[in-house]
Formats: sequence, structure tokens, C-alpha cells
Amino acid sequence: MTEEVRLMKGNEAIAHAAIRYGCDGYFGYPITPQSEVLETLEEEMPWETTGMTVLQAESELAAINMVYGGAATGKAVMTSSSSPGISLMCEGISYIAGASLPALILNVMRGGPGLGTIQPSQADYFQCCKGGGHGDYRMIVLAPGSVQEMVDFVGLGFDLAFKYTNPVMILADGIVGQMMEKVVLPEQRPRRTEEEIRLQCPWACNGRKGLRKHNVVTSLELEPSVMEEVNNRLQARYREIEENEIRYEEIGTDDADYLIVAFGTIARISDKARELAAEQGIKVGILRPITLWPFPYEAIEKAAKGKKGILVVELNAGQMIEDVRLAVHDSLPVEHFGRLGGIIPSPDEVVRALKEKIVNK
Amino acid sequence: MNIEDIIKEENKVYSKPELMQPVHMHYCPGCSHGVVHKLIAEVIAEMGLTEKAVGVSPVGCAVFAYNYIDVDWIEAAHGRAPAIATAASRLWPDNVLFTYQGDGDMSAIGTAESIHAANRGENIVMVFVNNAIYGMTGGQMAPTTLLGQKTATTPYGRRVDLNGYPLEITELMAKLDGTCYVTRQSVHKPANVRKAKAALKKAFENAINKRGTSVVEFVSTCNSGWKMSPEKANIWMEENMFPKYPLGDLKNV
Repeated sequence: MTEEVRLMKGNEAIAHAAIRYGCDGYFGYPITPQSEVLETLEEEMPWETTGMTVLQAESELAAINMVYGGAATGKAVMTSSSSPGISLMCEGISYIAGASLPALILNVMRGGPGLGTIQPSQADYFQCCKGGGHGDYRMIVLAPGSVQEMVDFVGLGFDLAFKYTNPVMILADGIVGQMMEKVVLPEQRPRRTEEEIRLQCPWACNGRKGLRKHNVVTSLELEPSVMEEVNNRLQARYREIEENEIRYEEIGTDDADYLIVAFGTIARISDKARELAAEQGIKVGILRPITLWPFPYEAIEKAAKGKKGILVVELNAGQMIEDVRLAVHDSLPVEHFGRLGGIIPSPDEVVRALKEKIVNK
Repeated sequence: MNIEDIIKEENKVYSKPELMQPVHMHYCPGCSHGVVHKLIAEVIAEMGLTEKAVGVSPVGCAVFAYNYIDVDWIEAAHGRAPAIATAASRLWPDNVLFTYQGDGDMSAIGTAESIHAANRGENIVMVFVNNAIYGMTGGQMAPTTLLGQKTATTPYGRRVDLNGYPLEITELMAKLDGTCYVTRQSVHKPANVRKAKAALKKAFENAINKRGTSVVEFVSTCNSGWKMSPEKANIWMEENMFPKYPLGDLKNV
């Protein structure tokens, strides 16, 4: 398959991107609003073309452990789910992180808590960026703002997962999962051969070919000094990721008086709000964190210099705002504007909130 | 006759299986795990599967199985071994995946994963060690604990009104269309050990030949958890476990 321009939903685009990346296996369980990922893969039948395995699991618990099992053999494997399903997967994500395995997980966020709503949300920021599962682990979290980024982050996500042998999450809000946009699908990459996998992942459990020393994938270690060492190695890797992988986008931040920090689709709504505010003589810049972990603290601190205030716009009750406040050390007012329950704010609402909470305060 | 005259290659009738690691086991004396491990190691080596066998170890006493049998091992979260083996098997169809699961793993926390892997007919071997108790955590009730059996969480004996009935998970497995071979074995006597080895061999052959899921249950002792000597535990198993969990093939198609 060559490069192709298509019109499709974010969830469908993820499926196509996975096939074209040369993903080896997808394991998932249906949950709204992301079931199109599995549906599209079943429709495309990639096992007939690239040889990719696709399996509907019996639960999110099983799906994430299939990902753990596939990743433990060195294959490029992924799953997708939405908030309540991700809660179930957190056990497995902790094991994947603890065992230092590469894996890609898509979370198309819906509103909570509990069964909540099937409408869009960004309320899993804490869960996905700060932990979720048990133990001192981190997961690289990419927040796409467009269907194109859904596609691009599949490739980026797998590359980062294998570079750092660490789980990577694409944290999408329900809007980007469901909306249709023009998208450029990359050309088909071949899946790695078994020999290439053995070379790339000498730690993987895919059989003692050539009677090599046996491999064990585990997160268990009962000797405290060794377990501390395991944790120290993980922490060193996290510092390396923080050093190398911070990504963000800035729009008009240089000559602005105010700053909006927002991620995912909300950053696009905020960008429209930026235009509307400019018509009213209010100069706002947008800083959109693309990696939510590692978080662009320094970029926000730099962008905030000389500004009169920051509005953090999120589809939640105020989660990322804690990191924005950490970034600017109380050097200027930082306020939050969020809608809950699946309500998506209009650009006008964002401008109103900016004026009420920051400009006219 | 000098001892040197006896210790000769041609006189050798038994030796450590080549895939058993030269390390001390942590299992209690009298525990069945060691013998089951030995049989798995022997079967894999004898069938020439050393380069293809990948084990999935459980949470429970056998969590360190990967320290003892010299093949690749993936350590599972409690109960999730069949899901892990599912993916590893489908992604590497030339390999042979086996899970090693206790009674908590297969019939409590991992019931869903176990039943669905078997129901899909995954081409894997599921080794199920049923000693009717949670050994590692200190002897609590398992789903397979017998009625009246005393454990740390049934100190006056298991009662139906409080704890329900012993779960016949292996019988359930035999009902599933995805299983091709479901058998119940023990390793408490040499004759049983020989039968158990033949059962394991058949299970691994089924996996190689893509015939579906094989479940090999080992009705086992936990003399520490049962608070008995190894000898008494074997007798107790014969008198109490076997009537509830009778040995033999439940399904062989």
C-alpha cells in the first residue's frame, strides 16, 4: 500500500495506521467510543495481508495481558479502550512497565467517574499521566489533536515504546476518536521478520533459538537491594525520556498577553478562541502539550514569561492545571476552565471564561 | 565390587533432566510441584522442544518456576497466564506455549481467562496443579478446597452455606469445544508419575499439531498447608481428594 489521502474517523485511522506501521498484533475489547478500532481491523482482515494478528478478547483484563504476552515475545502489539476499560487495564499496564516491555495503548477518553457517560472527556489525565496502576512507573503519554496525529502517533508511539522498552499511551479525547477528517495514511511498512525481532529484542521470550541462554520476562524480585536497583534503572530511563522526548506546540505565544494551555481537541477549540479574542483586542497564545508525560514544564515556564495570566482549558474539573501551576511557580495567575459530563465548550465560551477569570479580574 | 565399577554410563538408569536448572528449589519437602516440574522438563527435552517451548508462570508457589526449568518464561499476573499464552502462541505459531497454574489461578481469579482461552481452542498446554489450598499465601481456602477441609480462612472446615461448593473447573474445561484433551493425573506414586508424563507428552503433541487446548490437572498435595507429613498428605489425598477429583481422562478426542 502506498501513501493515501482518506477521509475517516480517528478510531478508524488508528486501525489503518496500525496495519501500515507493521503492527504484529491487536487485542481489544469493545467499549464506546472506540469500538471502531477493532471493527475496522476485523473488516480489513490484516492477517490476510501483513500477517497481523487481531483478536477480540473476553475482557480488558485479558486484552492487556495479551498485549503483555505479545510484547514479552518482542512483537509490536497494541490495544485500545476507553476510560472504564483503561481502569481495568491498569493492573496490566503496571506489569508491562515493571517488566520493561514495549507496548502501545490507546485510550479514547469518555466521561466518568464510574460508568459515567459515553460522551467525550479528558478526565483520565491523572490516571494516565500520574499512575493508574500500582508502583513507581511512568508511561509516555501522547495527546493527539487531530485525526492525522492519531495516525502519526501510532508510528511514533511504537518507535518510542521500543526505543525505551516502555509502554506508550495515545491519550485521545472522545472527540478525536469519533470525528472525521482528511488524513494522510503512510505507505505500508513491512512487519519485522522473526530474525529481526530476535536481533532487536534479545531479551524476548520467543524460544531458546540456537539454545541461547533462557530469557525470563518478569516484574518480580524479592531481594530488596535488587528490587531497588530495578526501580533505579526504571527511574533513570524516565529521566532520559524527560530529557529527550518532550513535545509541544506553540501558537502565537511570543507577542501575547495571555496564555491558554490545553491538550487534544480542546487545544483546537482554544485556537479558534484565540482568533475570536484577537478580534476583541485580546492577545492570547496557545501552548499545547503533545506529550502529557513527559510534561513540558520548562516550555510553559518560558512561554509564561511576561504574560498576565494563564487559562488552562480541559474537559475535566482541573487536572493538567496542577502541572501548569508547578511549571510557573505561582509567578502569575493560573485559572481553570472546564466542562464536564461530555459537554464540549464552544470557542465563545472559552473567550468568555478567559475574560471572566483572567482578563477582567 | 568397587563403586567405580558401578558408576558407569551403561549402568545409568536415572539422571537429572537436562532442562532442570542446577539450583535449590524453594518448594516444601513433599510438595508435588517439584515432580511436575521435572516431568515438564523431561517432556520438553525428549520431544525436542527446547528451542520452541515458552512457559507462562503463575502467581502462587510456582511463581519461580522460571528459575527451575531452562526454557523461556513469561511471568504472569495472578490468573492471566492463559491470556498471555494466547498472544504469545498466536504471534509465534511455531512455538509451543504452556501455562502453569494453581487452583487459585485457574479456578478463582483467572477463571475467565482460563475458560475463554480453552473455549477459543488456543493451541496451548494448560498445566493445572490442584492442591485444594492457597499454599504461598499461607494456606487459605481455594475454590477447589473440599467441604469440611480446614484452611486458614475456613478454620472450622469449608461450609456450603458460607463458602459454596468445590469448583470442578476441569470438568467445565472438558465441556468446552475448544479443548481436545482434558485429563486428571497425580504424581504421588511411581506408576502415577509415569502416567502423568505420558499425559503431558500427549498434551504437548496436541499443541504442536494445532489440535486445540489441552488441560492436564495434577491433583496434588500441600503438606505444609494441610499440616500433615508428606506421607500422610499422600494418604489424605487418596482418601479425600480422589473421590471428588477422580484421576483419568475426562476428554480425549
